Amino acid sequence: MSLKVDRDSMAFTFKGGMLPMTVMELSSADPERIREQLAGKLSQSPAFFQHTPVVLSVEKVDEPHLALERICAVCRAHKLLPVAVRGGADPVKQSAWALGLGWFPPQEEARARTLESVPPVEAEPQSDDVEVEALEAAPAPGGRIFRGTVRSGQQVTAPDGDLVVVGSVNAGAELLAAGNVHVYGALRGRALAGIHGDHKAGIFCRELRAELLSVAGNYKRLEDIDPQLLGGSVQVALEDDQLCIKPLA
Amino acid sequence: MAKIIVVTSGKGGVGKTTSAAAIATGLALRGNKTVVIDFDVGLRNLDLIMGCERRVVYDLVNVIQGEAGLNQALIRDKRVDNLHILPASQTRDKDALTQEGVEKVLDTLSSDFDFIICDSPAGIERGAQLAMYFADEAIVVTNPEVSSVRDSDRILGLLSSKTRRAERGDDPIREHLLITRYNPGRVDRGDMLNLEDIREILAINLVGLIPESEAVLRASNQGVPVTHDADSDAGKAYVDTVSRLLDEEVPLRFHEFQKKGLLSRMFGGGRR
Repeated sequence: MSLKVDRDSMAFTFKGGMLPMTVMELSSADPERIREQLAGKLSQSPAFFQHTPVVLSVEKVDEPHLALERICAVCRAHKLLPVAVRGGADPVKQSAWALGLGWFPPQEEARARTLESVPPVEAEPQSDDVEVEALEAAPAPGGRIFRGTVRSGQQVTAPDGDLVVVGSVNAGAELLAAGNVHVYGALRGRALAGIHGDHKAGIFCRELRAELLSVAGNYKRLEDIDPQLLGGSVQVALEDDQLCIKPLA
Repeated sequence: MAKIIVVTSGKGGVGKTTSAAAIATGLALRGNKTVVIDFDVGLRNLDLIMGCERRVVYDLVNVIQGEAGLNQALIRDKRVDNLHILPASQTRDKDALTQEGVEKVLDTLSSDFDFIICDSPAGIERGAQLAMYFADEAIVVTNPEVSSVRDSDRILGLLSSKTRRAERGDDPIREHLLITRYNPGRVDRGDMLNLEDIREILAINLVGLIPESEAVLRASNQGVPVTHDADSDAGKAYVDTVSRLLDEEVPLRFHEFQKKGLLSRMFGGGRR
């Protein structure tokens, strides 16, 4: 018997994916208060509420039993689709499953951050030694130019635009950009473009040696990259949710 | 005002202490008043390499904690007049060092000496950070292997962010690459990273290349810095390194593989 399965005969394949997801962090479990706040938000930014999937985080709600069904109803009434619950005690987990929702374990405190209260132009100091320097010449609003070698352990972010590195990015370094990532040197570390879910973002580099390439959560490890492309100038973009690496002609 | 130079690497066992001792000796032999400080509190080694382990009474921690004066702790080198050693404590740990204490010691030494060489412990924790914090220049010691190169890269990142010069926005620390244990034969066979690859990744100025040499092990065990072994490859390479630190142009040597000729093979004339 062979274990080989003909690809055409398979009904599906499992794939890992990192999708952008809105987390709704509840500080109150009172459905009425949630309804009031949602109504206010809906009038401010109606575009956001289009059956947007959300994860209900109840880590900050210190109650063993929640009116989860009513909270979900309030959300759906405002065109938010709860898909899962994060945190909470065992009864919360049971009622989430009963409602057909997924359940995630609570996130570590330190990693959680509030999406709404982040001012739009501020960089997030995440690593212990991020070199946040003033922009020397901004390529576009929110973009960033970094000159020099990005070294192992360093993280350079452009949370609102493109990131341009004039130099090399060494193994163990990480680049994060809401838009495109350009590296005018060797890219040996990790590069993540479109970190807020921009599928049109791309990665461009002069010499591809990257540990990891990611566009809008779709990633490839060094091991997955065609060895023939290594060392060359390439562009990386999403095509039909697949990460495509092409030589820069 | 003394120039403060930290000898660091991230990775252990690459030759920091050997290089600190050899470079301090070389600077002193060139007429510079030099002190070399062991920052490796708890794992004291510099005194052995410098051959003064029997003369240690007080150490850096005693000075910082006010238990001894600086002049009581400084050991004068037996071979070179204007060279002094400030040993580390073997019984304390690195938490015994404070930033204010280190600053005070360096300030006091600074008015008396031309060069202060700080021999950093391995790692990127407190001891290593204190050793580099006040530096004007850094010598990053790297072996021709991938893990050493990556750790050096990490240290270079810290040098540009976790030092007084970086925090104050002064001129950045002058960074020098010192490659040790370089064996051109093994590089040729592909067992070791070659010089150009290391330079390309770390992208800093090369101050010296020390060939792998029996003279280094011999020097360590005898407690005589290898700079004194002027006939050995390693000794010559450290002399070159010191000249480059003093801004002199010296051509690179010992980086190319020399095939042994018939005669030297017959008579066993190898590298010393």
